[in-house]
Amino acid sequence: MSKTVGIPKGLLYYDFYPMWKTFFEGVGAKVVVSQDTNKKILDEGVKNCVEDACLPVKTYVGHVINLKEKDVDYIFIPRIVSVERKKYLCSKFLGLPDFIKSLIGDLPPIIDMEINMYRDDTSIKKEAAKVGRMFEKNKRQALKAYFNALEEQKKFERLLKRGFTPIEAIKIWEGNRLTRANKNYEIKLAVLAHSYDIMDEYISMGIINKLRDMGAEIFTMEMLETDVILEGASMLSKDMFWSYERDILGAGLHFLKQKNVDGVIMVSAFGCGPNSMTEELLERMYKRDKEMPFMLLTIDEHSGEAGIMTRLEAFIDLLKFKKRAVCV
Amino acid sequence: MKITYPHMGSLNMILKTMFEGIGVEVIEPPPTTNKTLSLGVRNSHEFACLPFKINVGNFIEALDKGADTIIMLGGIGPCRFGYYGHVQKEILKDLGYNFNMIIIDPPHGRLIDFLKELSSYFPNVDGKTALKSFLFAVKKMLAADKLEKFLLKHRAHEDRRGITTKIYEEYMKKLDKAQNGKEVDKIVADAMKKIKENANVYRKVQLRVALVGEIYMLLEPFTNMDVSKALNELGVEVTKTEYLSDYLINSAFKLPQRLEFKKNGKGYLERDIGGHGLNTVANTIKYAKLNYDGVIHILPFTCTPEIVAQGIIAKISRDYNIPVMSLVYDENTGQAGYQTRLEAFVDLLYRRRVNAV
Ligand code: SF4
Repeated sequence: MSKTVGIPKGLLYYDFYPMWKTFFEGVGAKVVVSQDTNKKILDEGVKNCVEDACLPVKTYVGHVINLKEKDVDYIFIPRIVSVERKKYLCSKFLGLPDFIKSLIGDLPPIIDMEINMYRDDTSIKKEAAKVGRMFEKNKRQALKAYFNALEEQKKFERLLKRGFTPIEAIKIWEGNRLTRANKNYEIKLAVLAHSYDIMDEYISMGIINKLRDMGAEIFTMEMLETDVILEGASMLSKDMFWSYERDILGAGLHFLKQKNVDGVIMVSAFGCGPNSMTEELLERMYKRDKEMPFMLLTIDEHSGEAGIMTRLEAFIDLLKFKKRAVCV
Repeated sequence: MKITYPHMGSLNMILKTMFEGIGVEVIEPPPTTNKTLSLGVRNSHEFACLPFKINVGNFIEALDKGADTIIMLGGIGPCRFGYYGHVQKEILKDLGYNFNMIIIDPPHGRLIDFLKELSSYFPNVDGKTALKSFLFAVKKMLAADKLEKFLLKHRAHEDRRGITTKIYEEYMKKLDKAQNGKEVDKIVADAMKKIKENANVYRKVQLRVALVGEIYMLLEPFTNMDVSKALNELGVEVTKTEYLSDYLINSAFKLPQRLEFKKNGKGYLERDIGGHGLNTVANTIKYAKLNYDGVIHILPFTCTPEIVAQGIIAKISRDYNIPVMSLVYDENTGQAGYQTRLEAFVDLLYRRRVNAV
């Protein structure tokens, strides 16, 4: 029987799941994903994590515990240092497997593949071969799985560029049919956030769908082409050294300059260190510009749904009002 | 040009020595006080960490005193410190200040690059003078660090509460004014002698605690509420694991200590994660192996690398059977609560030792 590899449904799951799944199946494993976030998962995460950790990391801890309970043979906890040249990810990704191992006892073996493209991407092949060996596959087979994985990832990313959110794109990639409701949206809204903050329906309280229901067409940074983001980011006085923060800033500055949406919401998680820098900069730049409405929303494990809804509604009303006023 | 910079331990003394040595006017930021903190808090983002906010306060106070150029360190990640200067610049601009900000990114390995970059801002200074004042500043830095290490051990044995602190402060003032290397050596020797003379209280059970954690918090007594002094006055010898000189050596010039950290951290944290996360983990293991009685971990609220370290040192604490306590600081941290926690911790360490005998 093939071995099972558990993939926690948190953090970069939303950005790389198709790739990871393809790779592990390619080396002969069976992939098991943790359940969608629910109260129990979040509670377990909060209980077992460091008090001051950020919300998504706490949630991730809950997902690892969920997989442990599912008795998988391995849990995949990658150490993602860098996904492109000269850029890093948040420190928490750099220490993720070590951190999780310290927090939770009696885990099944962890597959802690190191992804580090800071200098170049050749090291990943070595890591792929290493993982392949764990499943008794030779280097050639492991590399083949890796290249297939890259192909699938490209398919997934194409879906993002067509305007699907990561969660929708994963569903489509998995073969589900999904048509975008051809609604007549009254306004266009950019939502800037780490994917794991807004894609997790439980911790974000389904913000994206709520906003759509209120009549907003949503744009996220995943939907933008890289050069658009880079162009936005080039307006910064110093290049931002975290990839995802660069994306948020780049997208934010792009929308600010092009004025091609009616408003922008930035969603950040309580306790997120990198976001604190990005928020501060974006908020100031939007304020100076004065034209584009901007709202900052911080979510934590105690966020009340009612409060969030009220703020979203007020913001959307403002945007609609502004738009109609302009039309008249 | 009137230069200023943020406070960070003895950095003020060192930068002042260096810049005045090359004939550049320096406006010292006023000492960090509650007013500095509230200025910083009022003008920074809620989730920025404490060092960031205090920097902002220092800058505002120095600009108000007439400074027109700010020197700040930069960085290339993954700790957010590397972006501080750029965000701070925007904040001060919005407040209406007119100034120039020089942000120096750490060199990629070599001392000479660092000095070159710095000197490029001062084209009229000749190389020899610059090197001379730099070396003199370094000498003062090493002297200050040496004196502090001595203080943290011997203050635990002082005859009269407060006497050592008084001596130390007096000699630090002298060090600040010292004009040449010989004077510096003499000040350090005299200070150590005097501290020693006033420290004769020895206990049957002598506790030793290592302070690990984020460097700014460890270097700035205002921000950590002078935790070393509080511990010393409870009779505990303290070893602080970060000093300015280490910082320069490790972060800027890549010397062997990095490798030592990697070696010590093995099995717990397999790589550098930015900031001082790896140092914290490695030092906790190091002092656990040296049979210290306890470790106190100091970090500012929301500090990403230190949060990773916090999770990991909890496991080290179990594996090595050494008590570890984390103190997380933000602007609302109250003195009273901290003192109580320190006392309870020291009490625990004491009982462990007594029971072990
Ligand atoms: S980027 Fe922010 S939210 Fe994500 S892991 Fe780091 S601190 Fe947490």
